[in-house]
Amino acid sequence: MTRISTTGLAALAVVILALALAPLGLDPFGYALRIMCLMLLFGALGQAWNIVGGLANQISLGHAAYFGIGAYTSTILFGSFGISPIFGAVIGAALAALFALLLSLPTLRLKGHYFALATLAAGEMARIVANSWTSVTGGPVGISVPYRPDGGFWALQFENALPNYYLFLGAFLIVTLIFWKVKTSAFGYRLRAIKENEIAAEVVGVNTYRVKLYASVLSAAITAVLGMLYAQFQFFFDPDTIFGVASMSVKMALIAILGGAGTIFGPWLGALVIIPLEEMANSYLGNTVAGLSQFAYGVLLIVVILLNPRGLISLFGKLRAKFFGGNRG
Amino acid sequence: MQTLFTLSQTLLDGLMLGGVYAVLAVGLSLVFGVMHIVNFAHAEFMMIGMYIGWLCWFYLGLDPMLGAFIALAVTFVFGMLIQRVLIKPILGAPQVAQIFLTVGLMFALENAALMIMGAEYRSVTTSYQTDSLVLFASGNERLLVGMDKLYAFLMALASGAAVWVFLNRTRFGTAMRATSQNPMAAKLMGVNTNLMYSVAFGLGVGTTAFGGSVVLPYMTASPAIGTSFAVLMFTVVVLGGLGSVTGAIIGGITVGLIQSFSALVLPIQLQNLTLFAVFILMLALRPEGLVARRRS
Repeated sequence: MTRISTTGLAALAVVILALALAPLGLDPFGYALRIMCLMLLFGALGQAWNIVGGLANQISLGHAAYFGIGAYTSTILFGSFGISPIFGAVIGAALAALFALLLSLPTLRLKGHYFALATLAAGEMARIVANSWTSVTGGPVGISVPYRPDGGFWALQFENALPNYYLFLGAFLIVTLIFWKVKTSAFGYRLRAIKENEIAAEVVGVNTYRVKLYASVLSAAITAVLGMLYAQFQFFFDPDTIFGVASMSVKMALIAILGGAGTIFGPWLGALVIIPLEEMANSYLGNTVAGLSQFAYGVLLIVVILLNPRGLISLFGKLRAKFFGGNRG
Repeated sequence: MQTLFTLSQTLLDGLMLGGVYAVLAVGLSLVFGVMHIVNFAHAEFMMIGMYIGWLCWFYLGLDPMLGAFIALAVTFVFGMLIQRVLIKPILGAPQVAQIFLTVGLMFALENAALMIMGAEYRSVTTSYQTDSLVLFASGNERLLVGMDKLYAFLMALASGAAVWVFLNRTRFGTAMRATSQNPMAAKLMGVNTNLMYSVAFGLGVGTTAFGGSVVLPYMTASPAIGTSFAVLMFTVVVLGGLGSVTGAIIGGITVGLIQSFSALVLPIQLQNLTLFAVFILMLALRPEGLVARRRS
């Protein structure tokens, strides 16, 4: 993916143009546009997860912690002190980075299952704190973002979803660009060396601990900024949703993995499939039997892993190999 | 004197709780020890065990301590089936596939329970629920243990011992341990390793379901109960060392004690916070567990 061919570049331009034009025919207050907003936001989240989970194969199941830290920080600062969410996001990102740094001290040397377990516990710790620190977070009942329609640009609130869509599209493209830059840089090669063989990477002089630390901190900070965007978009959230294992941590990872972990367009595909599927399941099945849509989600996860553990993007590789005879993929 | 009583009572409570955690975690440890996969869905079988125990009590009038055996039998068969269909294909797959398959199974089981049993909290009433055994009394102070907790503790210990005897004192158990240490060599010696994997998984989820049923007299069943115990069970096995039965028992009692003693100084909702912090530190400092396993 380092050298992008002219056709590839043209295809990318067409996709971005399509993304930019997509909402124009839609009702700016409608449901479809909201789903498209969420697709972009969760695509960006999958991409942020991809930096550490995809490139270095450090499977984090606790990214909800960073996401929630970002959402809570900007919401509390905005609600209590009137500080613009744009600055709130910066502070939230710094806090999330700090949390990632602290968490990295004991966990970064862990591998595979052990790392996944430790990050799972860290996410749960964040959820417990948010639920019990009622004086600051509002506790289990959740927290609302105050509506300030007169706040202008700095309040980052819009009366319909259209400006949000472009905001999220921008965020999505920026995070993708960051991922691409990381992946194709020397830093990215070090991360991938860790994925392939950590001991060998260390032997050839990669400071694996530091490389993983930087990746975790970067991924955490981006996730926190996206948390702020989510809060400004939803206007309300509670600890169990924002720090949820299923609703956030696993979803971010799943989006990257379903599409193809470690690839640039994996999270694009993942979000394109998961978010509409989930929304459809919620709206068609959610009201009939409680639990059915989440059940379907679990079954989908199982089926995806059993059918194709390498992600949807590998299907394109296979197709291309079939039609063009090459085996890039 | 009063503090001494409080401390002994806390110790006793922690011990009772820990014994149950041990049997819940023995199964998880067994699955890891034999198949080397971390089953994120494992705690859901505690929830299944609780519901089976509840159904037996509600429809058959069976005490949950007896219903536990039915829970064990049913989940044993169900577990073998799951192993054949879902776990076997991913045994040699990358860890990321194993993690997400079992996470998917976790969601599916929890929500299947929600669809079948509804969101209501289910509890049982037994004759001994409100009784307690006074171990020691002096003046106004009494050291006591609830009969429901005592029974659950004894049942838990008995099942833990049974698993230990099975693994260490029977031919089948020896074959299973051989599979755990070196599947290839075990196969060459004529061990049916596929059967071993199925039985280990069935027995692992079965003992956890057994543990779920015996705690029913003092805990309520709900679809989300398994998920809320998941990290706790992992803490227990990581403390004891993944893959070791004795380790799971020591880990269980340690976790029980940590929980009951942290309740003395911390508000109840922060209890698990301490536990998770211990868990992360433990992973970092001694991932092989408090009791290092004998190397083969």
